[in-house]
Amino acid sequence: MKRAVLWAGATLVALVVLACLVSVAWLPTDPNTVGTPTLAPPSADHPLGTDNLGRDLAARLLVGARSCLLVGVVAVSIGAVIGVPLGIIAGGSRGVAATVLMRGADIVYAFPALLLAILLAAARGHASTFTAMAAIGLSTIPAFMRVTRSAAVDVLAQDYVMAARGAGFGLGHIALRHVLPNVAPVVLVQSSSAFGVAILAEASLSYLGLGTPPTTPSWGRMIYEAQSFVYSDIQLAALPGICIAAAVLGFNLLGDGLRDLLDPTLREITR
Amino acid sequence: MLCLHSSTGALVDRALDSGATYNPYGRIMRTTAARVVAATISAVLTVVLTACGGTSAPADRQLVVGVSTSPSSLDPTTADGAAISQALLYNVYETLVKINDTGDIVPLLAKEWSVSPDGTSYTFELQPRATFASGAPVDSHAVIASLQRIIDDPAVLPILKKKMEPVSSMTAVDADTVQVQLNQPSNSWLFDIAERAGIIMDPNSHANAASQPQGSGPFRLDNWTQGDEIKLVRNSSYWGTGTKLAGITFRKYADPNAMNAAMLSGELDIISNVAAPEALSQFSDKRFTVLEGTSTGEIILAYNHASPALSNLQVRQAINYAIDRKALRDSVWAGKGELIGSMVAPTDPWYQDLSGEYPYDPAKARELLAASGITDLNLRLRIPTLPYAPGAASYITSQLAEVGITATVDQLEFPATWVQTVMVERNYDMTIISHTESRDIANFANPGYYWNYNNTAVQESIAAANVAPTTAERDQLMAQAAKLISDDAAADFLWLLPNLVVTTSDVTGVGANAVSLSFDMTAAAAPPK
Repeated sequence: MKRAVLWAGATLVALVVLACLVSVAWLPTDPNTVGTPTLAPPSADHPLGTDNLGRDLAARLLVGARSCLLVGVVAVSIGAVIGVPLGIIAGGSRGVAATVLMRGADIVYAFPALLLAILLAAARGHASTFTAMAAIGLSTIPAFMRVTRSAAVDVLAQDYVMAARGAGFGLGHIALRHVLPNVAPVVLVQSSSAFGVAILAEASLSYLGLGTPPTTPSWGRMIYEAQSFVYSDIQLAALPGICIAAAVLGFNLLGDGLRDLLDPTLREITR
Repeated sequence: MLCLHSSTGALVDRALDSGATYNPYGRIMRTTAARVVAATISAVLTVVLTACGGTSAPADRQLVVGVSTSPSSLDPTTADGAAISQALLYNVYETLVKINDTGDIVPLLAKEWSVSPDGTSYTFELQPRATFASGAPVDSHAVIASLQRIIDDPAVLPILKKKMEPVSSMTAVDADTVQVQLNQPSNSWLFDIAERAGIIMDPNSHANAASQPQGSGPFRLDNWTQGDEIKLVRNSSYWGTGTKLAGITFRKYADPNAMNAAMLSGELDIISNVAAPEALSQFSDKRFTVLEGTSTGEIILAYNHASPALSNLQVRQAINYAIDRKALRDSVWAGKGELIGSMVAPTDPWYQDLSGEYPYDPAKARELLAASGITDLNLRLRIPTLPYAPGAASYITSQLAEVGITATVDQLEFPATWVQTVMVERNYDMTIISHTESRDIANFANPGYYWNYNNTAVQESIAAANVAPTTAERDQLMAQAAKLISDDAAADFLWLLPNLVVTTSDVTGVGANAVSLSFDMTAAAAPPK
């Protein structure tokens, strides 16, 4: 029971990853093939029925897992690859440099991801999965910077770091050898939470028509397209909604579980 | 954030437990004092509000109309986009003659007109009492100044200048008589000046028309919030039989379902055209009236004929054969709207049913594609953010994939980005758009239009129809042009946008059809409340 949260999170995440892998290897039918019957109930041909264009709902949900994971992986990678080194630099510097970095992070943090996505879409002429990933990725940088910086400050005050400095090693060496391994657990936990945020943001952007284009199945877009049918065919909106909820919950629980596992002191404090 | 709330909450809980009332400024008040103050305020408010409400008479209605698009300028002669004319034509701006709900030309500012036997001279007798909202008379000089502006002002859209090309001279015979001389007879000219090319503006307002329209209609502009709403109010000095309404507000809803929800909640009085027809059954109860009419909005899959692959007739025909238009219309637009087959609406006199010209035949599409010698065809389908486009694009992409054509969909914000990219820069292969202007088949005779379509046979037919001596000959030539356009697969004519108007059941006088660009509210009425 001690690790129930971790297991629950890991199971949900595993389901999403499994759906993604299954969609790569096998699909009931092509997710974009239109035709008849439209708005059909579940049958042998269409395990979850079809939408208003006659597209197979099960196939679209499976392929939707790909968009969801793709956006999550790319956005979190952008956030971590840029945010972690900046956080370590901010942790290791003093005075103006640290202030500029962290206040810069505050400014980016205050800038809504949605607005950034609209601006990127306007700059590129049209919205796409790329603009959604870039906008979400950029907006997660400050969170990575903050958690890394605070962990890095602790590590940099340790005696062995002092010793390394005394021995003449530069910040680059210390960052790689001592700081990075020690901040890794925090970054891992942050990545998992950020993944949940990214999935939700992608769904919101797709819902608003600012994410994946109409021909790529995406859970957020499926809900958008199902709006007119919410009274007559609730499953069109409910199923992708459940998928989004499960994925976001899964990554958040996984984040919490990992934090408890990797940082027992933190668990004691929060209790 | 969450943390902050819960700690504040805990503080409040503790304070309340100790017998105090919480106030958000952090002071803890004594319960009795707070209650006395609150009771006094509510008593005063009750008296004041009851006094106000009790004596007011029913007020004339300001009807709120939900629309799907909003304009970027208020001058229909210098800016494109149907939203401008939808709100202003006939409501604020009047024309010499207007197109009524059945598509016929009827008098407006001209009480009558005559045409010389050779068809080159039009004499308009103006309404002697007509005035602009400013009080200035609508006389022959004002009429000529407005029409001359279309010809002379470089800012006026080329498409409108083209409509005035037949005019050689205009003369003010007297204050209420205008004579217009044409170079040659034109069967389309009178129709052309019944819409935005023929609007008569207050002569003093030409410079500010983009933001302050001044016309002679039964409404005048009160306020325009760009991207949100256009508020028109009654022109109390209207020269004719004015409106009984206090005014009309055109409010934009980008999302069709949000518009439906606003109507259901009572926020709207009218939906100009339901853009989520599958949800039409929501309005089946007796609070609403649903008007199902026809429009002149041909939704087309437009081809850029300058694109190398699409300049090939076999490729265009292959695409037309690959798409099942009936199934497309049934899935995307809930089976509402007619299948047309060419750029002609059934309300046009030269209409013929060409919807069977390219029956759904994927095998034939593959054959034509193979015969064209073009392989690995990849086309950019750049669609506007309009309700019908994403669904239609998904459908078309899937059906094209079946015959081996890849279409990459980009969704462009409408109107600004789409108009700039597709219409101005022509940076597209295919697009999906509704052409709402009446009798707009003539655009296929204009090689300068955004399709880059240049077919001399079509141009000759339409030009000949324009000068044909009888309407029967004109109709025959126009029908011939429509057939040529269809045979040449100049575009794929997907379906005709139906006009699905919803009003609250106490609103009357709203037409079922949309055969001009105007959402004509001049005859609308609703009991005061």
